[in-house]
Amino acid sequence: MKKRLLSAVLAGVMIVSAAATGCGSKSSSDDGTFTPTKTIQWMCTTSAGGGYDILTRKIREIMPTKDLVNGQTIVVTNKTDGSGEVGRNEVATTTRDADYQLLTFNSGDLMPMVMNTKNRSSNFRILAIMAVDKQLLFKGTDTAYDTFLDAVKAAEAGTKVIIGGSKGDDVATYEALIAELGVSADNMTYITYDSTGDAITAALGGHVEFVISKPAAATEYVAAGSLIPVLALATERYTGNLADAPTLSEIGDYNDVEIPVWRGVAAPAAMSDAAVAYWSETLKTVSETDEWLNEYIDANKLVADYMDTATATTYVTQYEADYMAENGIE
Amino acid sequence: MSNFVLLIQGFGTALTPMNIGACVLGAVLGLVVGAMPGIGSLAGVALLLPLTYKFNPTTAIIMLGALYYSNMYGGSFSAILLNIPGDSPAVVTTLDGYPMATKRKRPGQALLTANMASFVGGTIGIFILTFMGPGLANLGLKFGPSEMTALLLIAMTSISWLVGENPIKGVVITCFGILLACMGMDTLSGAPRYEFGNMYLLGGIPFTPFVIGSVGFAQVINLINDREADNEKRARGESDGMKLSIRGSMLTGHDFKRLLPPALRSGFLGTFVGVLPGAGATSGSFMGYAIQKKFKSEEPLGTGAIEGIAASEAANNAAAAGAFAPLLALGIPGSGTGAVLLGGLMMWGLSPGPLLFDSEPEFCWGLIASLFMANIFTLIVAICVIPFLIKILSVPIKYMIPIITVVCVVGAYSTSNSMFGVIIMFLSGIVGYLLNKNNFPSAPMLLSFVLAPLLESNMRKAFILSGGSISIFFTRPITCVLMIIFFAIILVSAIKPMLSKKKNG
Repeated sequence: MKKRLLSAVLAGVMIVSAAATGCGSKSSSDDGTFTPTKTIQWMCTTSAGGGYDILTRKIREIMPTKDLVNGQTIVVTNKTDGSGEVGRNEVATTTRDADYQLLTFNSGDLMPMVMNTKNRSSNFRILAIMAVDKQLLFKGTDTAYDTFLDAVKAAEAGTKVIIGGSKGDDVATYEALIAELGVSADNMTYITYDSTGDAITAALGGHVEFVISKPAAATEYVAAGSLIPVLALATERYTGNLADAPTLSEIGDYNDVEIPVWRGVAAPAAMSDAAVAYWSETLKTVSETDEWLNEYIDANKLVADYMDTATATTYVTQYEADYMAENGIE
Repeated sequence: MSNFVLLIQGFGTALTPMNIGACVLGAVLGLVVGAMPGIGSLAGVALLLPLTYKFNPTTAIIMLGALYYSNMYGGSFSAILLNIPGDSPAVVTTLDGYPMATKRKRPGQALLTANMASFVGGTIGIFILTFMGPGLANLGLKFGPSEMTALLLIAMTSISWLVGENPIKGVVITCFGILLACMGMDTLSGAPRYEFGNMYLLGGIPFTPFVIGSVGFAQVINLINDREADNEKRARGESDGMKLSIRGSMLTGHDFKRLLPPALRSGFLGTFVGVLPGAGATSGSFMGYAIQKKFKSEEPLGTGAIEGIAASEAANNAAAAGAFAPLLALGIPGSGTGAVLLGGLMMWGLSPGPLLFDSEPEFCWGLIASLFMANIFTLIVAICVIPFLIKILSVPIKYMIPIITVVCVVGAYSTSNSMFGVIIMFLSGIVGYLLNKNNFPSAPMLLSFVLAPLLESNMRKAFILSGGSISIFFTRPITCVLMIIFFAIILVSAIKPMLSKKKNG
């Protein structure tokens, strides 16, 4: 008897919770517009506390305070399985409640994804790009070369020059740099570290001669005099204490090298057009708030470069095509 | 101003009611989080971080620092009582902790040993951090790929003391651990290895579910074997003679004498390992335990020796303190948790980096003072709960089996919020059980699983630096000294048996 009662109660709880989570409810995008009416799921494929997790949580913090999500809750899930590929694939293939599924998606995610899996950016809806980062080359105090040009000449003469940096974006930047300089990878060698922090540590200890870093990660070391900016990997110079670093075209007969590191938001391919338009517009509103500009963009020394869904999709598609062509991916 | 004066000022900051409250809360949460398998300090700090955004940065770091720190205490609880390491540094504690609690029937003493050793190791670590922090951090910088390779080679030699009676089985299991560690992305080129077309395996075998399975769940399968015997024993009303009273749990003077020397040694060693870039508390506890193998223990290590528990627990707490040196002095995170704390510093509006000690002295010294407080406070709380915790062991096996299984499943799931962790946990549990049954020791597998990826990445970086020449291991002073120690260890272990044979012959 007791068991029967228990199972009846459990069944009741299940029915109530299914109803409460909106099981089987119709999408509110039927009339051509979309307003969220239930909990929004946000997938972040890096671990909690990391850079992209902070980006995700910052947006989540701003959205309700500006009343942008119709009072709905946003649940962030950190799924790091398979170096993030599992979470990305899950979002790409989501068909149920696709209007309520978001994904933090960056250039550093796209590169290993197209390299190691069959997923492509076309398997997602690209909702927006929120910010762009560009990089610099720094030298440690123990580095034997005064300027980066000295190092290039040494490499051309057959001396080994070591550059350290993180994965993904940094590797792409390094490859573009040596291609432009026309030096071989044997003479200007790259060492991949797990993170930019590790690479900077190696530069501080004199184990690599140069290090590729985004401005935010290195600026304190520049202020302390332990890292010196030697090359802006951008089409124009930086400002502040990074203004001394010339661009590549300034130091010789080269074109500037700039591999933008973009940070965006994507959604399942099955998301409705109405929801795509809604989220793209909502993210635009977020990108214009003071909290976003001061506490995220300025704090991380990023370029506030919002792109809406149409522009971002074109941009990411082109970025992906370039990357695949460079790496011979079919 | 001397560091001592600054520390006193730090205590002035840390001893405000608000900060004491934050420290106490952090310490209690850390104990709980540490004791729960799967939720290590990384997840604990990351989960609490968003709550601290509105705090004053000093209060926030005091709470997170206390949490991180007391986590090292909590990890040993489930390691000793259930044979499931609460966090990864506690893996080594299971080797002697669980046998001491069950075979030697001294669970209270095992827990107290762990906590006393944690206290000793932690105190040494914090003192070193206080007076030599920035200097040590700079020494850590000198450890590049070749130095780390030599140090890791020395650490790998310790496997030979862990292999047990059958060296061939030991070597086989070590290689098995190395092979498992090779799965996932190649850290240097980003190319997938041994992923067998499976998307989940692109990230490799996750460490925590692997350990929970191969140590903890393998234990559950063992318990299933013992269930009938336990039922019969209980039916006959027999007791297993375990002392579960408060009095019976206390350490004797002799126990103290045994735990102190390894705890002191591990305290110094652990602090040093914590300072090194990328090494962390798990490597620290493995190295502390390995060093203890070279010293005399009253009972053989691995059979429930106090010395084994003390060596590993003191080392991991000291390493946790040591890891703050590069974090505060240079803005370099020594571990995953350090990286999250660093993210926190930025969110609170501080700029971590080489200027932090000068620009925010109140913050830095407040944090160091709070580590002293957290160390003492956690010890008191831990000692108070031990008499109640050990009652777990009086629960009949038939109830323990489902309870531990649930703990294993939850722990494995929470590492990456997915069933993949749970599947890995079950599979490694079954494999771990079969290996145990066939007398393959699990410690070498876990040690090689932890150290092999570090060794591989550092050795390959060293060879890239030298253009493939082996000379890099002999031309740099620190590397050269470490390599000489490495070869000396190998030579001594090769010559010793020959000499003793001659003597006996």
